[in-house]
Amino acid sequence: MARLIKTEAVVEGRTEVRWTLVEEDSTPEWPADQPPGVVGEPTTRLTAGARLSGSARYTSDMQLPRQLEATVLRSPHANARLTSISLDAARAVPGVRAVIGPGDCPQFDGEAVLHDEPPYGGAAVAAIAAETREAADEAMAALDPQWEPLGFVVDLDQSLENQTFQDDPVEYERGDAETALAAAELTITSDYLAPAQLHNSMEPHCAVADWRPDGLTLWSSTQGIYQARSQLCGSFGLDQEHVRVICHFMGGGFGSKFGCGPEGVIAAELSRRAGRPVRLVLSRRDENLSTGYRTPARFSFTIGAGCDGRLQAVEASAVMGLGTGGWAYPVLEPVKSVYACEHQHLMTLPMRLNLGPAAAFRAPGVMEGTWAFEQALDELAEAAGLDPLELRRRNHTDVDPSTGRPYTSKRLLESYDLAAELAGWDARDELRSDGRVRRGMGCASQYWWGGGGPPAYADVRIGSDAKPVLTVGMQDLGTGVTTACAVVLAERLGIRPDQVTVRTGDTDLAGHGPFSGGSMTLASVAPAVRSAGHHVRTQLLELAADMFEIAASDLELTEGEVRSTDGTLRRPIHDVTEKLGNAWVTGSGSRAPNPDGMAVNTFGCQIAQVAVDTLTGLITVERVVAVHDIGRVVNPMGARSQVLGGILQGIGFALSEERVVDPTTGTVVNAGLEDYKIPTLADLPEVECRFVGEPDPELALGIKGLGEPPIIPTPGAIGNAVAHALGLRLREAPYTPRRVLEALQ
Amino acid sequence: MRYDATLKVNGRAYPVAIEPGRNLLSVLRSEVGLTGAKEGCDDSECGACMVLLDGQPVNSCSYLALQADGREIVTIEGLAGEDGDLHPLQQAFLDQGGVQCGFCTPGMLISAKALLDRNPSPDEDEIRLALSGNLCRCTGYSGIVRAVQAVAEQR
Repeated sequence: MARLIKTEAVVEGRTEVRWTLVEEDSTPEWPADQPPGVVGEPTTRLTAGARLSGSARYTSDMQLPRQLEATVLRSPHANARLTSISLDAARAVPGVRAVIGPGDCPQFDGEAVLHDEPPYGGAAVAAIAAETREAADEAMAALDPQWEPLGFVVDLDQSLENQTFQDDPVEYERGDAETALAAAELTITSDYLAPAQLHNSMEPHCAVADWRPDGLTLWSSTQGIYQARSQLCGSFGLDQEHVRVICHFMGGGFGSKFGCGPEGVIAAELSRRAGRPVRLVLSRRDENLSTGYRTPARFSFTIGAGCDGRLQAVEASAVMGLGTGGWAYPVLEPVKSVYACEHQHLMTLPMRLNLGPAAAFRAPGVMEGTWAFEQALDELAEAAGLDPLELRRRNHTDVDPSTGRPYTSKRLLESYDLAAELAGWDARDELRSDGRVRRGMGCASQYWWGGGGPPAYADVRIGSDAKPVLTVGMQDLGTGVTTACAVVLAERLGIRPDQVTVRTGDTDLAGHGPFSGGSMTLASVAPAVRSAGHHVRTQLLELAADMFEIAASDLELTEGEVRSTDGTLRRPIHDVTEKLGNAWVTGSGSRAPNPDGMAVNTFGCQIAQVAVDTLTGLITVERVVAVHDIGRVVNPMGARSQVLGGILQGIGFALSEERVVDPTTGTVVNAGLEDYKIPTLADLPEVECRFVGEPDPELALGIKGLGEPPIIPTPGAIGNAVAHALGLRLREAPYTPRRVLEALQ
Repeated sequence: MRYDATLKVNGRAYPVAIEPGRNLLSVLRSEVGLTGAKEGCDDSECGACMVLLDGQPVNSCSYLALQADGREIVTIEGLAGEDGDLHPLQQAFLDQGGVQCGFCTPGMLISAKALLDRNPSPDEDEIRLALSGNLCRCTGYSGIVRAVQAVAEQR
C-alpha cells in the first residue's frame, strides 16, 4: 500500500525536507553472513557495447527529420548594454527559420535567458535556428550588435569591498571561538586561494527540441530529466503530461547539467517558432564561459589547539566568487564536520562578479574547502611537532560535531591505517632530499554525504524469454549506475546482469526519480530496484510451485534455474516463463527513507606522493593511495573507475586547471582546451584503490555513494605532499611551474 | 558552390556534394550519417572526432572534407568485424573498464588502433604518449592503458 511520508535528505550540504510516496516493502535484507551472489563481483558495463561501437546516440547525435541547427550570440564584454541589434537582417538570410532576441524567450527558473544587458562575457543575447550551421553562422554575422560597455567587477577583493553578494552570507557559530582562541596553547593562521575549475564534460551542453501541437519533447544532456521537465513546464506554462524529456546516453556532467539549462529553453522556443525540431550544441568556448565552474575561493583560518594537537577553536572565512549565479556551496563544511572541535565561528561570503554563473562541480565547496583546511591542519601538525596522520587521529569524532548525531557507520580510522600501510607512510621522510628533484608525501581526509533516499522508483517486467526489463526513473550521466542496477536485479532473479535490459532516461517511462548528483543515485535507486525484483521473484516462484507441485518456500532462483532446496529439481527459469505467452510478470518498488536522527556520511583518506623538479618547477604526482568507506560496493569495477576519474580531476585542480580572467577586459582568456589544461594520459599516476566499508548497517542494502568522495582529498593530499617535499607551502592552486619557481626563489 | 566528392568510409563509397569549407567531421556526421565520431571542441584539442585517413589518425573536425576525397576513411563504426564482433581493442576497453560516459571512446579507440598498427608492442610510455591527444574526463585513463597493453600482449 502506498503512503505519503515526510523525510529529510542532505543534498550536497543542504538539508531538504520533502513529502515522498513510498510503498510498503517486505523484501528481506541480505543476510550479513552470506555474500549476495553477483553483488560485489566485478561486472563489465552493460551499455558499453553501444558506446564502444559508435552506435550510442547522445543528445548531440540526434538527427530528426527537418531538424534545424541553432546558434547563440553571446556578449563579448564583461558587462554591457545592447544598444541595437538587427534581428530582421538575420531573418532575411537564406535558410534562417527563426531568430529571437532579448524579450523573445521565456525565462529559465525565473532568470532571463537572452539579455539586453548581458552581465558577463559569454552571456546569451540572441539565438538563431537555420537549415544548416553555415546559414546560422551567416545570420549571426548579420545581427550586427552594438554595445555600450559598462563597468565590471571580476576581482574578489573589489567585490567584497563593494559588498555585492550573489547569495546570502552564511554565518555558523558553536561555542565561543574568540575566547577559546585567546586561551589556546597553539595558534596558527593561514590563507589559501583556490582557482575556478571548469567542468569540461566531454559532451558539451546540448538540447534537441521538438515542439508539436500535442506537446514538447526535449532530448537533453542532463543530470536531471525530471528537473528539466519541471523547468520546461514553468518556462512555457505546459503541464507535465505534455512535456517529455529524454536522455539515453550522456557524455558527463559533473554537476554542471542539472535540469534543461538555458539551452533547453532556447531550443524549445526556437522549435515552437519554427514549427520544426531544433538542435543547439554549445561550442567548447561557450561551454566554458556560460555553463558553470567550481567557485574560486579565498580561505582564511585561525586555528587554536592544545600542545597535544587537539583542536579547540577555529575561526574561518571563505570569500567565494559566484559570478552571476549559483549558491553558497559548503566550502567550510570540512572545518565544521570532519573533526571534533568545540568552538567555531565560520563566515562564508558568496560574492557576485561579472562572470558566468557558478555551478555545482563534483563535491562543490567541500573539495576546495578540504584542499585548504587539510593543509592548514598540516601546518598545525608541524607547529605541534606531530605526525600529520596522528594529528587527524587525535581529532577524530564519533558523532557529527555540528549536530551531535551518531553516524550510521564510520570507518575513517581504518582508512588512515590502511592508507598509511599501503603508502609506506612511516618511511615518508626517507623520500626527502636536497637534490634537483625533491619528493614528498602528504595525506588528507575525506568527508561527504551520499546516503541517498527517496524518491526513487523502479519497475521490472519479465516475459516468456526470461529476460527481464528494468525501468528506473533516473538518467545515467556515464557513471555506470545502470550496470549497478542490473547487478542488484540479477541477484534477486538468480540470473546474470548481462541478461537484464535497463531502461532509463525518459520521463515517459517512469513517474519520478532522483537527479544524478550528490553521490546519491545508486544509494537511492538500488533499494527500489531490489524491491521491484523481489516482487517478480515471488511471483515466479509461485508460478513454479504450481507447475512443479513444490511449495514456493522450498524453491529458489539460482544461476538461471529454478531449484528446489532439496536438490531434486533443477529447471531453467525459461521453463516457467515460457508458459506466460505474451503476458508479463511485473513488479514495482520504491525507496524508503533513511533512519531519522543519524548522520549518513562517506569517509576516506588519500595519500599522495609527488616529485618536484626544482629546475623546471614541474610537479609530478607519482602515486596516490585512495582508501574510502562507501558501504557496500555493488560493482568493484565501476567503483574503481569512479575513484580513478575523481583522482585525475583532483590532480587537475591541484596542478594545472585554472580559469584565467583578464583583469583589464574582465573576460576569460582560456576557454578552450588548448589553454585550459585538464590532465591527459601522460599525467596518470600509479593509483592504489581500496574500500574499507562493510555494508552500512543502517541503510537500505548498506550502499553509500561514490561519485564525489574520490576527488575530495586528492588536491589537499598533493598540497601537503608538495610542502613535505619542498619544506615550504604553496598557498595558491594550481601549483603551476611558475608558482613553484616563484615560491622557491 | 558545392563540389562533388566520394568519401570511402569503412569500405563503402559515399558520393557527397559539399561546400569547400565543410570539415570532414560534419560531413561524416550529417551527410554520411555516422555519428560515432564526436565533436568535443571543434578545434583539434580533445581528439573525440578522430578517424583514420589512409591509416593515419586525424582530428576530423579540423580536416577539410574535400581533402579526403577518394581516400580511405575508417571511423569507429568500422572497427568491429562484419559479423558485429567487437574489435580486440573494443573488447579490451570493455574488459579493462576503459569506458565510462563513452564520449571520448571513439577517438581513443582510433588513436589506439593507429598506435598498434604502427607499433604492435608499445611499452607503457609509448601508449601514454600516443594517446595523450585524446582527452577523457571520466575514467582516469588507467583502464584505457591496461586495455591497449592487453591487446599488445595478445599479439
